Amino acid sequence: MKVIKINKKDWENGINQSKKEYQLFGPVKEKDNYIFKKLQLDEYPDMEHKDTLVSPKSILFPQTEKILQTNLDESIDDHHIMKQVKKDYSKRAVISIKPYDAKAIQILNLNFDTDEYKDPYWCEAYKATTFIGLAVNNPSVFDFSSSTNTGPFAEQGLDVLLIDCSKEYLAKVLTDKGQAFLDVAGFNQETDNKKAIEIINNMKKKAENAISSQISTQNLKDKNTLDLYEAPFWDDIAFSCINCGTCSFVCPTCWCFDIQDETKGNLSYRIRNWDTCMSPLFTLHASGHNPRGEKTMRVRQRFMHKLKYFLDKYDNGIMCVGCGRCVKLCPVNIDIRKVCNLMNSHEPDTDN
Amino acid sequence: MGNLLEHMGIEKQRLHFSWISSAEATKFVNVAKEVTNAVRALEPNNKFVKTLD
Amino acid sequence: MNKLTQNIRELSSNLLKNNKVDMVIGFKKGTIPMAVSPMAAHNIEQTKEFIWDSNCGINLANFISDKKEKIGIIAKGCDSRNIVTHITENKISRDKLHIIGVPCTGMIDKIKLQSNFNDDITDYSENGEDIIVKSGLIEKNLKKSDYLKSNCKTCMHRNPVIYDELAAELVQEQKIEDQFADVKKIESLSIEDKWNYFDNLLKDCIRCYACKNACPLCYCPSCFVNESNPQWVGKGQDKTDIKTFHFLRAYHCAGRCTDCGACVQACPMNINVRDFTRKLIKDSYEIYGWEAGLDITKRPLLDTFSLKDDDSFIK
Repeated sequence: MKVIKINKKDWENGINQSKKEYQLFGPVKEKDNYIFKKLQLDEYPDMEHKDTLVSPKSILFPQTEKILQTNLDESIDDHHIMKQVKKDYSKRAVISIKPYDAKAIQILNLNFDTDEYKDPYWCEAYKATTFIGLAVNNPSVFDFSSSTNTGPFAEQGLDVLLIDCSKEYLAKVLTDKGQAFLDVAGFNQETDNKKAIEIINNMKKKAENAISSQISTQNLKDKNTLDLYEAPFWDDIAFSCINCGTCSFVCPTCWCFDIQDETKGNLSYRIRNWDTCMSPLFTLHASGHNPRGEKTMRVRQRFMHKLKYFLDKYDNGIMCVGCGRCVKLCPVNIDIRKVCNLMNSHEPDTDN
Repeated sequence: MGNLLEHMGIEKQRLHFSWISSAEATKFVNVAKEVTNAVRALEPNNKFVKTLD
Repeated sequence: MNKLTQNIRELSSNLLKNNKVDMVIGFKKGTIPMAVSPMAAHNIEQTKEFIWDSNCGINLANFISDKKEKIGIIAKGCDSRNIVTHITENKISRDKLHIIGVPCTGMIDKIKLQSNFNDDITDYSENGEDIIVKSGLIEKNLKKSDYLKSNCKTCMHRNPVIYDELAAELVQEQKIEDQFADVKKIESLSIEDKWNYFDNLLKDCIRCYACKNACPLCYCPSCFVNESNPQWVGKGQDKTDIKTFHFLRAYHCAGRCTDCGACVQACPMNINVRDFTRKLIKDSYEIYGWEAGLDITKRPLLDTFSLKDDDSFIK
């Protein structure tokens, strides 16, 4: 593995160079909040950024996306025939994505890109994207990523991992895609690999030790699904829930969506929007029946999906990367760490 | 409601309230004229118009 | 433990002990600094979890709608006004409630507080009207009054307006020079600037509906935004749809909103959605002399008619 040294003085210049071939996305501060957005020519990714409120999954999976379109004018031959909306899938790079958010993209991949079904919108966008991660030197108090199969210096899902060493960035080149980006940006100063890796490993250890909160997941796999489903704690957890979609919408791994048709004049679009299992409408049947009519059922569904069903189906860890966004932003402090530990240590009441 | 709409940037002259009995045909005509004149005097409205862009 | 917390625990455990109520609704300590979580205590043991501090800004009246049990509820000024609104709108009956009133000196705006620190706040405690806040790097002693939620700064009803007993002595109500300065600022803008102001306000909205779901007034079994047959408003990120949602939600709160600020506190994107409802509060007050939720014998503003009502807008 190669490590490239980037002097911070050359950083903006390299970003400018890369903009000639790539559309860049990165975190910027707007109205006191950090958000991921497409960078204009005079914009640079904020490398000091704290967590963005909403995760960067929206770059590949926008909250609202037109997927099909048709014309309703009956004098046209192919009226009412739905066709894929043409989109720009030219090369793009996400700069300064955190390792756990990159891991989350890999989790979304499990849903959108399978052997059986390939979501063309996701797959095209994914193929076009280079992920330039930024290791987290100072994890936030909400971060529990070291116990969710990722971590502040994790590499999964990244093409390059940048490490901020005050005067310079060390760039760990992880894939050819990453190498290609660095070439375009003109970042090519090689360094003593062995020494660099040693520095990185030390920083990694320090960052991992700085993470104060952990979850326990080791027993989840062997727990009986029905035991968890019928556990007595759900009513208690759900009491404070107001059934908003904050947790799902800020979550980097929530992938559910809803399909809507919208028409103006003769132009009609089929649109997909993020959906949230916290909303009663999510499971409302046309008959009027709602299998998840009570809020406890919906709260249970969210946690069971993330921490049990997903684990059982994919055998690929839990569907949570430990970013802590939902912990921080839930208006009534429903904490997935607490729920996870409850589930992990749940023993069914054998007397009954 | 008119006040809240205006607060949000919709011209007040676009929303009219009137109480007209079914027997008051003349009043109805006058109000209809008044409304259309008031709205025509403004620029075409593009607020609260969905474009699907 | 502060005195208020102690009193709340004592009063609630007495209620449960004497079988006066089936549950008491209050707040328990959260898992992160400055977070609290609404909870229901069904037995005396659980009342030991109750706490009270200046982070209890979520409105507990939201948790009593249509409850059949007999409920004890901890209520600060704004919660009590929403309880009154619930009673007048038949969402709960007075005799099902035992209200433990908490005179309030305002709640903390944690976003504003956090903006004072470069790293995450790791600890928060209160000593009277002072707050002691620690982050990884620094500890600061601050005045609570400098970090109040914006609705608390203009609050005229810090004391509960309805209660069965009090958890502390009543506090002095604030004297506010200009209660509606924020609304007037928007009113003074040109019509185009007003439109742009709200466009900008809603730019980050993700339609999670935390604002409406945290609101005790938004108790409709199915909100118009969730209806699909007929569908009143698009469900995506179209900015007209987003504005339609916020405008209509606000209008449904006309004459009912108590400015408790739960909507703003719940919003993950830090949007001051009160900019909509504040206008309605001002108009209700200035045109009809009405403040919501003060008296259970009075019908809601938009449900009554008086010959003295202003009708200058009708031609």
